[in-house]
Amino acid sequence: MDKSCCGPGYASPTEAIKAPRENLLYTIAIYTGTGIQKPDYLATVDVDPNSPNYSKVIHRLEMPGIGDELHHMGWNACSSCHDDANMARKYLLLPGVRSNNIHIVDTATNPSAPKLHKIISGADIKSKTNLSGPHTVHCLGSEIIVSMLGDAKGEAPGGYLHLNKDFEIVGRWENSMGSIPFSYDFWYQPRHNIMVSSEWAAPNTFMPGFDLEEVGHLKYGRQLHFWDFEKREPIETFYLGEDGLVPLEVKFHHNPDSSHGFCGAALSANVIHWWKDDQGKWNWEKIIDVENEPHPDWPIPIPGVMSAILVSMDDKYLYLNNWLHGDMRQYDISDPHKPVLTGQVWMGGLLGKAPEVNGVKMAGGPQMFQLSLDGKRLYVTTSLFSTWDNQFYPEIRENGGVMVMIDCDPENGGMSINSDFIVNFGNEPNGPSRCHEARYPGGDCTSDIWL
Amino acid sequence: MTHTVKIENRDNSLYEVDAKRSLLESLREQGVDLPYGCKYGGCITCAAKLTSGKVDQRRQVALNNRQLNEGYIILCVARPKTDISLKIGVESHDKLYRNPFLDPLKPHELKADIATSKGEN
Ligand code: FES
Repeated sequence: MDKSCCGPGYASPTEAIKAPRENLLYTIAIYTGTGIQKPDYLATVDVDPNSPNYSKVIHRLEMPGIGDELHHMGWNACSSCHDDANMARKYLLLPGVRSNNIHIVDTATNPSAPKLHKIISGADIKSKTNLSGPHTVHCLGSEIIVSMLGDAKGEAPGGYLHLNKDFEIVGRWENSMGSIPFSYDFWYQPRHNIMVSSEWAAPNTFMPGFDLEEVGHLKYGRQLHFWDFEKREPIETFYLGEDGLVPLEVKFHHNPDSSHGFCGAALSANVIHWWKDDQGKWNWEKIIDVENEPHPDWPIPIPGVMSAILVSMDDKYLYLNNWLHGDMRQYDISDPHKPVLTGQVWMGGLLGKAPEVNGVKMAGGPQMFQLSLDGKRLYVTTSLFSTWDNQFYPEIRENGGVMVMIDCDPENGGMSINSDFIVNFGNEPNGPSRCHEARYPGGDCTSDIWL
Repeated sequence: MTHTVKIENRDNSLYEVDAKRSLLESLREQGVDLPYGCKYGGCITCAAKLTSGKVDQRRQVALNNRQLNEGYIILCVARPKTDISLKIGVESHDKLYRNPFLDPLKPHELKADIATSKGEN
């Protein structure tokens, strides 16, 4: 195959690591739930250290209406389309968890000033698929699937919205939800014909805020689901129990031949690892357990709340956050059964270990993060979800969210907060907003999948 | 049929609203800038505090019993049954959000579908 003809992304993870350094990144920023009656927006952040605007928001693309609660994002195409010269990584999909609208943003025409290309209306999605609460977006070849956390009335288990490359609704992607009670994140590894999905809760449960008691009433998830990817139906469920309360982010190794994958169980603050053995059987184990921390004034010890995990492009490191404790961690997972802690930094959190970073007062703790393809720069934001922020970090209303950059050492391990970079979303022109997930135009460590 | 809505934290301004339509719809139409998200009663973004009068909000699924006892209503589904007074926006949300580790709910304060009745456990 002629390499110069190719479509988006990279031929392999090794090629991706060699890609040019990111010069800008996109993060969503919300006003939903903040008291400021303005639309959520997509912020472009200049991350080119040679630019006069380094570490600044250089463009804001407002959504047409208020109340979307932008959250996660995804590309229209990734390395899974690398062989298709007709495809390009041109559009970023921005679902609104509350409004159900999915915004398609053109980032290619002018990468620093993206513009709105199309909106798939939430009402249309509901009427055609009976789904709501869009979350994770993955492309697969030229098609796109989005995990939807509820039915049109916000009740579990939701399902998967299937879009074609022109962003038209094809319908439901899955043939069956089996007995899956909840949806959240998913990742697929095509060479093993497997998809793994996790469980948050019904939109009607998590959107209004977090009631701890509802975990005991089984309103939150504690299972992982393995799918026959081609048949589009679940084939096996792992009950994680107390080790896997509220299993959220799902990542496979980037190496398409690997069967190893990981999930962060947010409330248990554990990392669950799975793999396929020589007999073709899937196994799971707990490989990281972050202990709850006592708090001087609270009757209940604070769990880490590991709301995100990320695997570096070379599959050597796993990064995780403890949103309530306030630390980001780096583990060497060269042996995925035996992770070794190689780095840790503090930013915000409820334990009071790093109330300020680079002169900016932190409201919130490390929450979402995106790693550069070369594994050296980790961009971390502080807001989780408007209602949950309001419960745990009410001062975020006045202070807004923050984006911090952590320098990571991909050779020897280790991480430290970069002292030249900080983006304070407390200073936004319309008032304090909250930044969340970030993506780079050239692809990143949470998008690309190889067929 | 209509009722009068008084918004206390907007200079006690008064609005006539249809008894059959949601308060969110009627008030926004008359220029009151209110937050909202899902518009079906599930996400809490539009919550306001009812300080007098009665509403029908049987369709809401966002509030737990503690929030209901504090007087919160869900404007996107609530319809007025009488003249009412409200506090709106995040200024009214002082008791809406609660740290669940610092201040756990009692069994009767959970959402209606899982709450025990007061007194039992
Ligand atoms: S707008 Fe979501 S509950 Fe009213």
